[in-house]
Amino acid sequence: MTSIKNIRNIIILLTCFLLTHNMNAQVSSDFQTANSYYDEQEYDKALEAYQLCLQENEGVVLSRKSKAQVYYNMGNAYFKQGNLSQSILAYERCLRLQPRNKDAKYNLEIAQSRIIDNLTDNSSFFVAKWAKAIRDLLTEQAWIVVSICLFLMTLIGILVFALSHYVSLRKASFHTAWIALILSIISFFNAGSLHHRDTDRTEAIITQGILNAKSSPDKSGTDLFTLHEGTKVNIKETLGDWCNISVGNNEGWIQTSHVERI
Amino acid sequence: MKKIIIPLLLSVFLPSILKAEDVEFRAEAPQQVVVGKPFTLRYTVNQRARDLQAPDFSNFDFIAGPYTSQSSSTSFVNGKRTSSFTLTYTYTLMGREEGTFTIQPATIRVDGNEYTSNGVRIQVLPADEQPVHNQTTTNKQNSNNSQGSTANVGISKDNIFIRTIVSKNRVNEQEALLLTYKLYFAGVDVAQFTQNTKIPEFSGFLKQELEQQEIQTELEHYNGRNYQTAVIYRTLLYPQHSGDITIDPAHFEAVLRVQVRQQVRSIFDDFFGSYTNVTRELTAPGTTIHVEALPTGKPAGFSGGVGQFTMTGDISTTELKANEAVTIRLNIQGTGNMKLLKTPAVDWPEGFETYDAKVTNNFKTTTQGVSGTKQIEYLAIPRAAGEYTIPPIKFAYFDTRDNQYKTLTVGGWTLHIARGENDETTSTVVQSYTNKEDIRQLGTDVRYIYTGPLTTTKAQSKKIVFGSWQHIICYIIPLLIAIILFIVFRRRIKENADIVRMRYKKANKVAQKRLKEAQKAMNEHNKQAFYEAIERAAWTYLSDRLNIPTANLNKENIVSILRSKQVDEQLIEEVKQVLSTAELARYAPSAESAMEQLYKQTSELIDKLENQKI
Repeated sequence: MTSIKNIRNIIILLTCFLLTHNMNAQVSSDFQTANSYYDEQEYDKALEAYQLCLQENEGVVLSRKSKAQVYYNMGNAYFKQGNLSQSILAYERCLRLQPRNKDAKYNLEIAQSRIIDNLTDNSSFFVAKWAKAIRDLLTEQAWIVVSICLFLMTLIGILVFALSHYVSLRKASFHTAWIALILSIISFFNAGSLHHRDTDRTEAIITQGILNAKSSPDKSGTDLFTLHEGTKVNIKETLGDWCNISVGNNEGWIQTSHVERI
Repeated sequence: MKKIIIPLLLSVFLPSILKAEDVEFRAEAPQQVVVGKPFTLRYTVNQRARDLQAPDFSNFDFIAGPYTSQSSSTSFVNGKRTSSFTLTYTYTLMGREEGTFTIQPATIRVDGNEYTSNGVRIQVLPADEQPVHNQTTTNKQNSNNSQGSTANVGISKDNIFIRTIVSKNRVNEQEALLLTYKLYFAGVDVAQFTQNTKIPEFSGFLKQELEQQEIQTELEHYNGRNYQTAVIYRTLLYPQHSGDITIDPAHFEAVLRVQVRQQVRSIFDDFFGSYTNVTRELTAPGTTIHVEALPTGKPAGFSGGVGQFTMTGDISTTELKANEAVTIRLNIQGTGNMKLLKTPAVDWPEGFETYDAKVTNNFKTTTQGVSGTKQIEYLAIPRAAGEYTIPPIKFAYFDTRDNQYKTLTVGGWTLHIARGENDETTSTVVQSYTNKEDIRQLGTDVRYIYTGPLTTTKAQSKKIVFGSWQHIICYIIPLLIAIILFIVFRRRIKENADIVRMRYKKANKVAQKRLKEAQKAMNEHNKQAFYEAIERAAWTYLSDRLNIPTANLNKENIVSILRSKQVDEQLIEEVKQVLSTAELARYAPSAESAMEQLYKQTSELIDKLENQKI
C-alpha cells in the first residue's frame, strides 16, 4: 500500500518537474520574442511580451533576479518610447529586486536627468545615504538569514563566555558575542526596512505630465507646488482618491491616479 | 400618357399666370385720430373687383362713403409692358369716443374669389381741451426773439416743445435705459433743425446711440391737446455708478414755418397766405435718474454683465496629442450691457500654453439695450501628456428680470493628452562643460537590454517572511537551546565544584586514615607498607587539598600552586622534604627511628597545612 503511494508521489513530482521545465522554456521564448521586438523598435509589442513574462504561469514565476532583468528591459522600452515616468518606474522596480544592477542604475540616472524636476534625495544626510546603500546590498531574505546566523553566533559566544575557564577564550567569545549581537540587530532592522518598503510601497512615481500639489485633498485646495512627470515621491497616507505625498521638504495632496507606486 | 402630361404642364405654368395677377387688397387709415374729427379709411385693390363687404363701423360715426375711384396706368420700359390698376373705396368716418378700436377686415370678390383685407387698429385720441392762450409766455418769448413782432403769432410753449422721455427713472447700475427727445408741435410746421444742437454729455453714463430712423410724425394726445410728435434723438444709457445722476437739459434749434398774420396788403397776399421762417431755440428739460447699486454679494467671477444672458460652449476635442491645439468656444447671447462684459476666464491646467481669447461681437442696438452674441474662442496647447481636467467655465451676471445674480456654467471637460511626436521632455540635450578631450560624449542613451537566460521558481516558494511566527521562532528556538545548554553546563560545573569541596573537606580525614595505616605498619615493622602509606597520605592530601588532578600530580606542580597561594616558604620546604624523604625511603630502607620521625613530620605537616588558608 505504502509503496504504491510512494510511486504515485514520485510520478507527481516528475510531472511537476517536467511542467516547470516547459514553463521555463515558454517564458524564455516569450522573453526572446520581446527582445527581438525591442530590436525591431516595436516597443509596444515588446512591452506586452515582457508583461507576459512577468505573469505567474501555472504556479511558476520568474526568479527574483530574472524579474529584475525583465523590468530593466521594460524600462529601456519605455525610455525608447519616450515614456519617462514608466521607464523610471520600471528601473526602480528592477533595482528594488536587484539593488546592485549597475546597468539599471546607470539607465535610471539617464532617465532622471531628463525629467524636469530637479531631484534632491530625501535623505540628503550622508549617514542615511550610507545606511540605505548598506540596506540595499542584500535582499530581505538574505538579511533575515544573516540576522539569524549572527544571533546564533551571539548565543554561542555567550555560552562560551559563561562556561569557559580559559581567560583568553572567554575574552574572545565575549567580544564576538556583542559584535555579533549588534550586527544581528542591524541586519534585523535592514530586513524590516526592506519588508516595510516592499509591502507598504510608499515610494511612487508621478505619471501625470504636470500637476499641482494641493493643500488639502480637494480640487479647490490651494496650489502648493508643481510636480512634473517622473518625479519620485513618498506617499504618506491616502484618503479616498487623494494621497498625501512628500518630496524633499514639500508636502501636499495629489490625486492617487496621477502617481504609480513602485 | 397625355392625361398625365397636361396636368403636369398646368401645374408648372399656372402659378406663374396666377402670380402675375396677384390680388392685393389693403385697408389704410391713420393710426391716431381725434374725437370729433373726420378721417378717411381707404380700401385699395389692384384688380377689378366688386361686392365690397365693409365691416361694422359701429365704434365710429359713419359720415360718408364709399366713394369709388379707379386709376390705371401702362408703361413700357425697355420694351417691357407693365400695367397697374387701382380701385379705391373711400369711407369718411369720425371718432366717437376715445380709446383704441379695431376695424375688422373687409371682403371683396375678384373673379368670383373672395379676398380679405387687413384689419386696422385706430387709436382715438380725446379732443383738444379749450386752448389756453398764455399770452404772457408768448410775449416773453417774443421779447427774447429778435425776429420781430410780426413773426411771432402762434408760437408759444404750448405749440412746440421737446420732451425728455426716459424709459425708467429707477434703474440698476449698468442696466440699459432709453432716453428719447420727442418734439411736440401743433399749429406750426417744423422745417428743419439747425446744426446748433447741444445734446448733454451724459456724464456718469455709457452712451449707446440708436440708429436714427426716418423721422415719422405721429399724433399724440398730451396735456389735453393733440400734437404731432416726432422722435428726434434716441440713445441708450448705461449708468456707470450708483446714486442720483442728473442729465443736463438739451438744446435744439429749429426752423419753424409760421404763417404771418399781418395787415392784409393785397388780395393776393391774403389769398396765398404768407409764411416766414423763424429760428427758435427749444430746450428739452433735464432729468434725474436714480441709479441703484447692484446688490451686495457679487458672485466670484462676476462679469459685470447686467441683463439677461444665456451661454453655450463646447470644446474642439478631448482626445489629443501633446503640442496639438485645443479650442474652447463660448457663445454668450442675450440683452444687456454686452459691450462691457468681461470675457470669462478659463482655468487651464498647469502645462498648457495659453493664448489670448479671440472675441467676435455681433451686436444689435435696440430700444431694450444691446442684444446679440459674443463669441469667444480660447486656444491652448498642452505641452505634456496626461489626464487634465478643465473646470467648468463660470459666467456670473445680474439678471434684471429677477433682480438677482445668476451664474451660468458651461462644460467641465477632461482632456486625455497622449504623447506628442516631439515631446519636449524627450528631446536630448547633452551638456558638457569639459575642455579636456577624454572620451567625447556624443549623446547619452540607456544601456542595452539584458538578453541572457531567465530562471524561474515556484510561485509559492518557502520564504521566511519578516515578522512572521516562523521568523520569530528562528530566534526563540536557538535562544531556548542556549538557555538549556547554559543551565545544563552550569549544573555540571556546580556538581564538579561540590566534588572538589568534598575532597577538600575530607582531605584531612583521608590523610589521618592513611597515617593510621602507616602507624599500624610501623608497629608491625612492615617497612614497605609504612612508606607506601605515608607517601599516599601526603600525595592524596595535597591532591585533594589543592584540587590537582592525579595526572598532574608532581612535586613541581605542587610547589608552584603552593607558591601561587602564598604559602610560607618554610612550609613549602617542609612539604618538599617530606615528599622526597618518603620517596627515598621507599627504595632505600632506613632505621626504625627514621620511620617514627617521618611519621611525626608528616602528621605535623598535615596539621600545619590544615591550618593554612588555601
